[in-house]
Amino acid sequence: MTRRTLLRMGPAAAAAVAVRCSSPPPSSPLDPGRAGITGAIVGASHATGHRLREGGFPEPRETRDVSVIIVGGGMAGLSAAWKLSKSGFDDYALLELESEAGGNSRSGRNDVSAYPWGAHYLPVPPPEAPAVRELLEEMGMVPSYGADGEPIYDPRHLCHAPQERVFVDGAWRDGLSAQDLLDPEGTGTVAVLTEFEAQVRAYRNYRDASGRRAFAIPVAASTTDAEIVALDDISMRDYFDRAGWSSEPLRWYVDYCCRDDYGCTLETTSAWAGWHYFCSRPAEGQYLTWPEGNGRIVQHLLDRVADHVRTGMLVYRVGTGGGPGSPTGATEVDAVDTVRGTAVRYRARRAIYALPRFTAGHVIDGYAPPGAPDAFTYCPWMVANLTVSRLPVDAAWDNVLYDSPSLGYVVATHQNLRIAPGPSVLTYYRPLSVPNPAVARTWMLEQRWDDWVSLVLADLSQAHPEIESLVRHIDVMLWGHAMIRPVPGFVWGASRRRAEEPHGAIRFAHSDMSGISIFEEAQYHGVRAAEAVMRDLGHAHTSSV
Amino acid sequence: MPGTMSPELMDPTNPPSTEHAGLKTRALLVSVFTIATCGLIYELLAGTIASYLLGDSVTQFSTIIGVYLFAMGVGSYLSRYFDRDLIARFIVIEILVGVVGGISSPVLFFSFGQIQSFRVVLYGWVTMTGILVGLEIPFLIRILEDQFPLRDLVSKVLSLDYLGALAASLLFPLWLVPQVGLMRSSFVFGVLNLLVAVWTCHLFRREHGRPWLTAQAYAALVLLLLGAVYSDDLTERSERLLYEDPVIFSRASPYQRVVLTQRDGEVRLFLNGDLQFSSLDEYRYHEALVHPGLAAVAEPRQALVLGGGDGMAVREILKDDRVEHVTLVDLDPVMTDIFVDHDGFAALNDYALRSPRVELVNADAFVWLDADAGRYDFIVVDFPDPSNFSLGKLYTTTFYRRLAAHLNPGGVMAIQSTSPLVSRQAFWCIVDTVRASGLQATPYHASVPTFGEWGYVVASREPFRVPERFPAGLRFLTPAVTRALFEFPADMAPVPVEVNHLNNQILVQYHADGWDQYSRTPPPVSE
Ligand SMILES: Cc1cc2nc3c(=O)[nH]c(=O)nc-3n(C[C@H](O)[C@H](O)[C@H](O)COP(=O)(O)OP(=O)(O)OC[C@H]3O[C@@H](n4cnc5c(N)ncnc54)[C@H](O)[C@@H]3O)c2cc1C
Repeated sequence: MTRRTLLRMGPAAAAAVAVRCSSPPPSSPLDPGRAGITGAIVGASHATGHRLREGGFPEPRETRDVSVIIVGGGMAGLSAAWKLSKSGFDDYALLELESEAGGNSRSGRNDVSAYPWGAHYLPVPPPEAPAVRELLEEMGMVPSYGADGEPIYDPRHLCHAPQERVFVDGAWRDGLSAQDLLDPEGTGTVAVLTEFEAQVRAYRNYRDASGRRAFAIPVAASTTDAEIVALDDISMRDYFDRAGWSSEPLRWYVDYCCRDDYGCTLETTSAWAGWHYFCSRPAEGQYLTWPEGNGRIVQHLLDRVADHVRTGMLVYRVGTGGGPGSPTGATEVDAVDTVRGTAVRYRARRAIYALPRFTAGHVIDGYAPPGAPDAFTYCPWMVANLTVSRLPVDAAWDNVLYDSPSLGYVVATHQNLRIAPGPSVLTYYRPLSVPNPAVARTWMLEQRWDDWVSLVLADLSQAHPEIESLVRHIDVMLWGHAMIRPVPGFVWGASRRRAEEPHGAIRFAHSDMSGISIFEEAQYHGVRAAEAVMRDLGHAHTSSV
Repeated sequence: MPGTMSPELMDPTNPPSTEHAGLKTRALLVSVFTIATCGLIYELLAGTIASYLLGDSVTQFSTIIGVYLFAMGVGSYLSRYFDRDLIARFIVIEILVGVVGGISSPVLFFSFGQIQSFRVVLYGWVTMTGILVGLEIPFLIRILEDQFPLRDLVSKVLSLDYLGALAASLLFPLWLVPQVGLMRSSFVFGVLNLLVAVWTCHLFRREHGRPWLTAQAYAALVLLLLGAVYSDDLTERSERLLYEDPVIFSRASPYQRVVLTQRDGEVRLFLNGDLQFSSLDEYRYHEALVHPGLAAVAEPRQALVLGGGDGMAVREILKDDRVEHVTLVDLDPVMTDIFVDHDGFAALNDYALRSPRVELVNADAFVWLDADAGRYDFIVVDFPDPSNFSLGKLYTTTFYRRLAAHLNPGGVMAIQSTSPLVSRQAFWCIVDTVRASGLQATPYHASVPTFGEWGYVVASREPFRVPERFPAGLRFLTPAVTRALFEFPADMAPVPVEVNHLNNQILVQYHADGWDQYSRTPPPVSE
């Protein structure tokens, strides 16, 4: 929340926000070396959890009836809404806590460029993900089809060259793959790489008796063969140790990939999830990206469903049934308007609960999680958007630092087609993966804006000594529960496997139900939940999944 | 020295005499203001000279400011290692800053072109200046420490420091660059630093007690005064070193450095040091670029030129009376201004850009094209070679498809396509990329002495037929010569290549490979 938006919202809103924002107010830097860099900690409401636990919400004084209520406007909730609207099912409402929908795929914009706050790209979808393809066609991303009928994606939106580079040993190297990193002279590394790549190919080509892949997107389409599922019992690190792969650059690379996709390290990622990253997509896969990242998808979905969306609504209770006379299988959802401070009760025949699952115990009446109680754990993330007066020389789209706890930065203006040099926005990502999420989260919330600025600049200056003179503005977003952690035993454990089971009239949808935080999974669960609800209510539709 | 914990501010054997203290303090505060101004001026000078010599002012300024600030930090840090004779050392530093900063312009100008790695000299010099400047303020603060409570001192010194910076940032663009010139400015501000050294020498005679210091300060002062007097001469000499021929025009735009040289009626245009044309043979390049395509169009009413802000391609197009309107799109207003406004240079394009048939647009081509609703019968694509990923985007399937959407039925595009001899893969990659964009591509080439063998592609929807009739007034093309341009000798014959897409930009690699092998930098000739 920037100071300016706070001022525009008026006193009541400011009070509501103040309750939610435990982060300190933005401070302007006094350090003369940094004079002129402005910015703040923005967005995300960290005190929500506290509020949900502590209770003390006003009694709803108003009641509304809808057929279906969707709780949460992240990609899962929006995708559920998209499917309902597409099927001509219009009697529904979606409640979102923040002032803008989109969740982890939200984006921002300033006078230089739009930029992502979380999700920033989408790989070209495999055939197992027809709903993703359907959406991309709708978005106009597929101007033509090849002779084989396969879609040809618009090259404007496929990530342009140069895509990746990594700063290692004091210099930038083009490309970011195990191959690009390995020192061909290093003893044994070539052999290890060959073994690693052979394993990737083997898992990629694996098909079970019913033709399912070893690692599919969505996760639900993956094989349940014991041999593959057993990989979930050990960590990726264990896998490497057992295989005798000790090459440092290779371990770094795989650890980087785990941090990048899951916010977990080699030690805390299950081998199943680790291999999923490498083997669920075709080799040489391309990816789609936009200046605002997956914010482009959010906007597309909103263009279709915005009339049903209410933002600034904190859902604090989801209950089953309401006294005598209420229709069987009904549900009620209580939410407080964070701007006005008043509460509303929605009565619906079905609810789609599209919040991260760790909230369910505090929000849903009588909810007992299947399996272990605290199986769903999340990694916190810090994301900073840096407005720079010009791009660092030869910047690629994704710029990774080898010696860094961060993931480097992505260039928001990379897809623009100008030749004139100009200002840009760099999105800097840092998963807070050690020592464990709880400690990292506490530490994260203690840091002030100045602390983050020092941290980001110190990190980037190893590759860009001049970075401080380029930066004009830095906004920081703190994600307390950013990504589900696929720790060993989670993906194929009972808690996740049974996460789809409905609770009374409530259906669930969220990317955490896959154990893997990506758009495709969020969309899959959203669409699936919407279809289940329409089935329950007898609304005819065609399936997208 | 490390280990000596409490540094003495002034030599304890020479305590300041009270009657002089007020005057000295005031002099030192004036020094703060002066050295702050000088410090910023050196930084601005280095940034401006680097932009002038290397082009791309944003990059140059940003990196210079970064390195300079960093070096100042190093200087401030180093100041802790000095703990005695602060006054004497301060005077030494002032002399050094005065000399190093004062001669920075001539050093940078003369080393460019003389020394292989100019950037080493540039950043080395900037670092040295920065470190010295970084030492100044900490020294002054410590010297003044006894005169004021810390709170007053910091507020006084820092406010004067910032005031000095303000003065410099106003003086520099408003007076120094336009009136005094880069060369003389550096000498003048070196002189100011030395004046600080000189008055400190006199006022603190008793504290430093070293007469030879005063002598050194005066010697340096005289040296820089001489430099200031002779700076016009130095400027002329330095430019002569940069180019073989006398420079008759030079200006840095936000995008590039534009320089024109002239000798015996031959005018050459350089962008960032790369030759763009020589007036002796540019007609060959431009006739070959324009007429084979243009003459093949049945009714060429609307023409579009992308790049080519020098107006030469437009001049050729205007020779064809059938053309009613030409839109010229070039990124850099400095380029187009020269070739519109300046009589001498506008004569080179026959005042083409002043013609009522011509419309000038300064814009980034791809972005402009996306927004433009026009349809054209003839399009000239005359961009710089694809030597980086930004320019490479203007040679992709996406760009050619976009262009094709602006082409009227029966229309033709002509594309400058680098040298098929030097970078054979790059040339055929452009040909194949045009084909992959759903157009017919017909390659040809011409010989331009200052460039060498140069390649072009005509792109059209319908099959292309080499024209037999050309407008009057051509010096190079005849029907027979034109037919021959479409024949490729064995050493420029097609090679198998990949198509250039936005997401592979393979052309940039091909181009670099070709020109590296030729061990020359593209386009054609550089200093
Ligand atoms: C830093 C980062 C980078 C990422 N990068 C990528 C990427 O490049 N590509 C990719 O595919 N994925 C990426 N992801 C994963 C991303 O999480 C998913 O793509 C997707 O956005 C998840 O959507 P979701 O609906 O499952 O969850 P969420 O985004 O968590 O949605 C939950 C929604 O519920 C709302 N909410 C929470 N509590 C309440 C309440 N009490 N009442 C009402 N509403 C509430 C939240 O505000 C939020 O909008 C990234 C994630 C992060 C954090």
